[in-house]
Amino acid sequence: MYCLMKITHQREEKLLEGSVESLISRVAHLKNALHSFIYKLENEYERLTWPSVLDNFALLSGQLNTINKVLRNEKTPSFRQQVIIPLLLSPDRDEDLAKLTEQRVPVFSHEIVPDHLRTKPDPEVEEQEKQLSAEAARIGPEVAQKQIQTLNKLCSNLLEKLNNPRDDRDADSAALRLNKPSFNPADTNALVAAVGFGKGLSKCRPPGPVAPGHPGQGPMMSGGPTLQQVTISGGSGQLQGMGPGAPQQQGQPGKMPTNIKTNIKAASSMHPYNR
Amino acid sequence: MEAPPVSVMPVTGGTINMMEYLLQGSVLDQALESLLHRLRGLCDNMEPELFADHELVYLLKGQQGNPFLLRARRSLSHPTAPWHLRYLGQPEVGDKSRHALVRNCVDVAASHSLPDFLNEMGFRMDHEFVAKGHIFRRGALKVVVSKLSRVLVPGNTDNTEPLSLSSLVELSVLAPAGQDTMSEEMRSFAEQLKPLVHLEKIDPKRHM
Repeated sequence: MYCLMKITHQREEKLLEGSVESLISRVAHLKNALHSFIYKLENEYERLTWPSVLDNFALLSGQLNTINKVLRNEKTPSFRQQVIIPLLLSPDRDEDLAKLTEQRVPVFSHEIVPDHLRTKPDPEVEEQEKQLSAEAARIGPEVAQKQIQTLNKLCSNLLEKLNNPRDDRDADSAALRLNKPSFNPADTNALVAAVGFGKGLSKCRPPGPVAPGHPGQGPMMSGGPTLQQVTISGGSGQLQGMGPGAPQQQGQPGKMPTNIKTNIKAASSMHPYNR
Repeated sequence: MEAPPVSVMPVTGGTINMMEYLLQGSVLDQALESLLHRLRGLCDNMEPELFADHELVYLLKGQQGNPFLLRARRSLSHPTAPWHLRYLGQPEVGDKSRHALVRNCVDVAASHSLPDFLNEMGFRMDHEFVAKGHIFRRGALKVVVSKLSRVLVPGNTDNTEPLSLSSLVELSVLAPAGQDTMSEEMRSFAEQLKPLVHLEKIDPKRHM
């Protein structure tokens, strides 16, 4: 580059050079990643999916992280203490510089120096920083220390909660949920019994609470009257004029269907199409 | 000429031999809304389907102990639709680790003369009830949330009284016999409905 750096010690010079090299290579990686991402956004935006965009962002974030790590490394000398002074400014186009910077900086002149060699942040950022440091100075060291401790405690609590899914958490929320139950197991059983075999639905029984002792009798009771009804109509519907024989045993509801069955069997033994 | 011999072998194969996998639970009326919202989110996106059905259960008492049960169901909201006749077998006592109740299921449609036909065949109506509610679907899973009411005057479905303060929630799948893959899917779906509803396999015999 067209500038000299003032250094004092050989060792530090070597260290500085080394760290600057690594920084340059990291920044070059970042630049390449950005370049390909922008290309993708501009040319392949129809086929771009959100996950791949996220991947690109993750890559950039990782590279920024490594740059930060390099800067924070103890071996890295503090760049703040270095001063960059341009030794030669000329309005002529410099081919070597242009090639080096991929045609972005063709001329090393008075216009580009304030931008490229700037060390102070933007005015707005400077303003905000000034406010923050004034605030920090105002509250005093003890209060500041207390605030730092509270923040640390909150962060560690949150991290702990996030990292360890504890059963206590479930127990607490389960206790809350028990206050408002959304289902009643007794109701479940009653409904399943009703759908399964008509517990509590017998026509004979007057509407009321389901008595557990009754289910056995219920269906039989309801069977009784209807059976008797039907036997009469069954009797009238017989084939071949066979005596029904059904009304004999009206007292025993269970026997009715048997009789009817027998009649039907007998009827089919006589072939209708007797040839 | 002789009449062709009547085959007494049962019909097998095709869609006749279906097994029903069932999980049941209930939800209190005050939590019904939140359950319906959750089901709207979990199940396939379709217009919420309401239904109002009147089910009659017919019994045929044989010489042996167990009566034969058939369920006839008609829609109160679509009076001209055909009746639905269903036979449900005994729950299969398979391995206890199976998460759902499995039973044989035969479904057929029938005309409006079904009650008379069943009466003529010798069946007697044991009980009837009215079920009104919502039906949801997720793939092959069917979720039915229904409020059961008992019929006070036989045959009169306008005069009904709710059976309890809860609605019955049933998760069921119909699959051909031999396929046992559905119970895992049903179990994971049931997990997603906790803690609003606990869907579990309930053996009806236990509550006799």
